[in-house]
Amino acid sequence: MPSTLRDFTTTTADWRRSLRQNRRRTFYVIITFLLIYLALGGLIDLYLYSGSFPQASLSHIGMALITFQLWPKATIVVVVVAVIALWVTYAFADRLMLLGIEYRKITPDTAQNAREQQLYNVVEEMKVAAGLHFMPTVYVMDADYMNAFASGYSEKSAMVAITRGLMEKLDRDELAAVMAHELSHIRHMDIRLTLTASVLANITLIVIDILFFSTLFGGRNGREGRGRNQLFIIILLLRYLLPLVTVILMLYLSRTREYMADAGSVELMRTNEPLARALLKIQGDHEQHQAEYGAAYAATPHESLRREAYIFDPCQMQLANRQSMASDFFSTHPSLAKRLKAIGVTKKSV
Amino acid sequence: MVTFIVILALLLLMGGYVVAIYNALIAMIEAVRNNNKQIDIQLDRRYKVFESLVEVVKKYMDYEKSTLKEVVALRSQAQAAKEVGNDAARMTAENKISGILSGLNVVFEQYPDLKASQNARQLQEEIVSTENKLAYAKQAYNDSIERYNAKKKSFFESMVVNLFSKLNCDFPYWQLTQDNVQAKEDYRIKLS
Repeated sequence: MPSTLRDFTTTTADWRRSLRQNRRRTFYVIITFLLIYLALGGLIDLYLYSGSFPQASLSHIGMALITFQLWPKATIVVVVVAVIALWVTYAFADRLMLLGIEYRKITPDTAQNAREQQLYNVVEEMKVAAGLHFMPTVYVMDADYMNAFASGYSEKSAMVAITRGLMEKLDRDELAAVMAHELSHIRHMDIRLTLTASVLANITLIVIDILFFSTLFGGRNGREGRGRNQLFIIILLLRYLLPLVTVILMLYLSRTREYMADAGSVELMRTNEPLARALLKIQGDHEQHQAEYGAAYAATPHESLRREAYIFDPCQMQLANRQSMASDFFSTHPSLAKRLKAIGVTKKSV
Repeated sequence: MVTFIVILALLLLMGGYVVAIYNALIAMIEAVRNNNKQIDIQLDRRYKVFESLVEVVKKYMDYEKSTLKEVVALRSQAQAAKEVGNDAARMTAENKISGILSGLNVVFEQYPDLKASQNARQLQEEIVSTENKLAYAKQAYNDSIERYNAKKKSFFESMVVNLFSKLNCDFPYWQLTQDNVQAKEDYRIKLS
């Protein structure tokens, strides 16, 4: 039995606080990513220099690197690599998101029926409310399941896409709330942020892999000192730890941005009820049609590209009944109960 | 020598901070101005929507003739107030138009064949959307004033504002007059 808003107590949402809190969290995550990345560069430098100076202890070389007595060459190289990779990603990320789905662009002239006209109007209203300087392109995806996502951050690339199922099953206010959530992703620059984080995470993993294999197979010619052997243990540990750490950080970031988009939706609408109703409807609908939607999601190619961007994570269907710590830790979206609680809607105790 | 460099560095840092605050405040002031103009755009748009709406309902009732006159009068009041820069009078006039427009939506409900016509339904959606856009434009305007005021009155920022009088603008929030609020609050729909 899907729950409705009647099973919940609604209070007002303090979206200002929610935005502040999650902005701080994002800051910490990004700083952690950058520190990990820089530390990795430092590790390579340590490794290289401990080859050149086999007699010196690691702390000696470390001090020399920090005080710039030795040039941290590797660190500089990995930073340059990251900058280039990010630049290339920003330039080409635009058209990735709609891969593999049937979609249609909606404008006031191409709207085929009243619903599509309404959808466009609703997005335009939210654009006014958000004070965006450009109108994002609106797409309708030909699918029965209820979902929506946003992509891009500039005039050229900003877009919102919504499935036909969502457009037809939500009323006007609920539609507006979902669109406000998506536009909030755009105005919070979430797409650029997650791209940046994932590019950094991927380079981190590639670099640690290269380092690991070059220490493993790189000439064991006996001239390496104590330092290199100590470093090898650290590198070995990192090689297995870092993938886990980056995944957890990425998912934490993603959940943080979801909370922010929810708060942003309440900020634009000045009411939390439509969003709560929409989320409950989407969840209920997914539970009801679990089997067919699962098949539909699976049949659509490149669905994993959009998983994080969707307003509702399709993978959560399977996890919905298991409210363990682990499932919370490894999901792109917070659980429905937590999302509702964050916007001031709590379940009534029976 | 070292103290000189330290002092110079501190001065540069402070200067940079002041410039950053200055630029941020200027950007916010311009955002408020732009959001204010956005309200004008939406008001203008509403007037045009209203005209085409009246065209459609014309066949159905006499109602619109007096309404249209009223709206035109209010519109010119608002326009005149805008020209002298009397924001309060302008707000009152525009808010009255809002009242009439929501009245029209009720009228729609009373004429089944009017309600059923495709044209009218589209226009109804158009009215809702227009009114929403106007309300959201006002909200965005007030939000930008809130951000600007909060920034301007914060510590450090307020000191910079004291240095440059240009940064100290006083924007009125878009709001109803006191009597108007009372009237709106007392308003009840009578279902007889």
